[in-house]
Amino acid sequence: MDTAQNQIDRAPLTDARELRRRRNLIIQFFHFVTLNWKMYSLAKSHH
Amino acid sequence: MARVVVLGAGVSGHTAALYLKKKLGKEHEVVVISPNSQWNWIPSNIWVGVGKMAPEKVVFPLAPIYRRKGIEFRQAKAVGILPEGDAGDARAAVDVVYTGTTRTGETERIRYDYLINATGPKLKFAATPGLGPDGGYTASVCTPSHAVDAAQRLADAIIALRAGTPQTLVVGVGHGTCTCEGAAFEYAFNVEHELRAAGVRDKAEVIYLTNEHELGDFGVGGMVFDTRDGRVSSEAWMASLFRERGIRAITQAAVTSVEPDVINYTQIDGSTHTQPYDFAMLLPPFGGVDLTATDRYGADITAEVFAPSGFMRVDADYTARPFEEWTASDWPKTYQNPTYGNIFGVGIAFAPPHQISRPYATPDGIAIAAAPPRTGMPSGAMGKAVALTISDMILTGAPKPTHTASMGEMGAACIASTGTGLLRGTAAAMAMSPIVPDYSRYPSTDGRDATETTGDIGLAAHWVKRLLHTAFIYKAKALPLWYLIPE
Repeated sequence: MDTAQNQIDRAPLTDARELRRRRNLIIQFFHFVTLNWKMYSLAKSHH
Repeated sequence: MARVVVLGAGVSGHTAALYLKKKLGKEHEVVVISPNSQWNWIPSNIWVGVGKMAPEKVVFPLAPIYRRKGIEFRQAKAVGILPEGDAGDARAAVDVVYTGTTRTGETERIRYDYLINATGPKLKFAATPGLGPDGGYTASVCTPSHAVDAAQRLADAIIALRAGTPQTLVVGVGHGTCTCEGAAFEYAFNVEHELRAAGVRDKAEVIYLTNEHELGDFGVGGMVFDTRDGRVSSEAWMASLFRERGIRAITQAAVTSVEPDVINYTQIDGSTHTQPYDFAMLLPPFGGVDLTATDRYGADITAEVFAPSGFMRVDADYTARPFEEWTASDWPKTYQNPTYGNIFGVGIAFAPPHQISRPYATPDGIAIAAAPPRTGMPSGAMGKAVALTISDMILTGAPKPTHTASMGEMGAACIASTGTGLLRGTAAAMAMSPIVPDYSRYPSTDGRDATETTGDIGLAAHWVKRLLHTAFIYKAKALPLWYLIPE
């Protein structure tokens, strides 16, 4: 049984635009700020 | 003066000790008992394990921090709890054996008014023959020294690849009941990242071997979140990532034994397999540390205080029920022991009521059941909640716990590194709320709050992971305003 591998083989590959977005320093800087804010909010609201 | 004894100085115990001292001041005594002289930021062991971070960067000595904060530190291992005291003294106590260089082997009975059990896990490499770096054949990243050993083995594999010898690198979990699949996932992707950086990726096969039922389960039943492409499951999200990086995956597997060059495992359908390997990093299953409990007459009451797994019983609902009847409210809120109200169990040391993911077994009864993760963010939150409760009990005489931190209510974030480097690094950032799905509260969004359950992959997540390394070590060192950094 190798269901996970079958799923990986069928999984959509990330397109070139998304791969560039993941490396773009300006976009990633904004993601960095957003991620930190999300985590801070999560911690402050529940802990 | 009250004395609070904290067993363990990991994320949960250390957090509890710092908050206790901050709240209780000099009027009361906080004693930390840990067999280790150093604090370890375990999430960064992944980077030590691929040779990208020096082991000194993930540890620091505990004694100077505790001296500065007025916390008493005993480098010792707790071996027994006497919640009712003994024949000569009715005050509760804990028996310890010193492990530090100056008093190694000495024993002491330390009295307490309140006890926090934050001992973390016992690494049960022995549960699978041939597993582990000490006497087995596989590497581990559970401790800094294990991670250094893993990095050396990986470097050897890269040398072999450069010499033109194909290598099979297997990363995952070494038993059907393991937890911390997220750490194994991170290590698999960091290994793949380093192989590419070394220019030898084409000659290497990287395999992720796990007890998870699906990719992206991570012991929390997976998650569904909003991405730029709409709502996707962590399973589908991970499948794309595995394909993108060319990592093979074997799920629903319980490793049954490891030999010098092959890993034997069985899968849920009962089929047995042999996987050859050149390099393997397999995490061990966790159990509670070897602590006993005795009553005032010396009778063994370990089964009252601890679950059969060795983890401490707390205010969870331990009634055995089928998976379909499990609820988020089964999970503990205050972490208070039901028999002894002045004992609390936090972090990995508390006994969960059941798994979060659906458990499975092979036709022969071999469990393939991802255990619930209770590390990192929730672990710190539990430590803080219990510290605040005990402070209230001491300072205001509160008869019941005043703070809660249920995994059925709180959210958590997980930043899974998939490769390090300031500009070339990448990570998968996942946030979920609550950790244990609550299907009655969020019936249409798979038991979780859709606005707080999110996923993102990219360089930014790596920066966050690196920032967390710095921030949490700052906090753990109790440097100025440490308490402003949330758990």
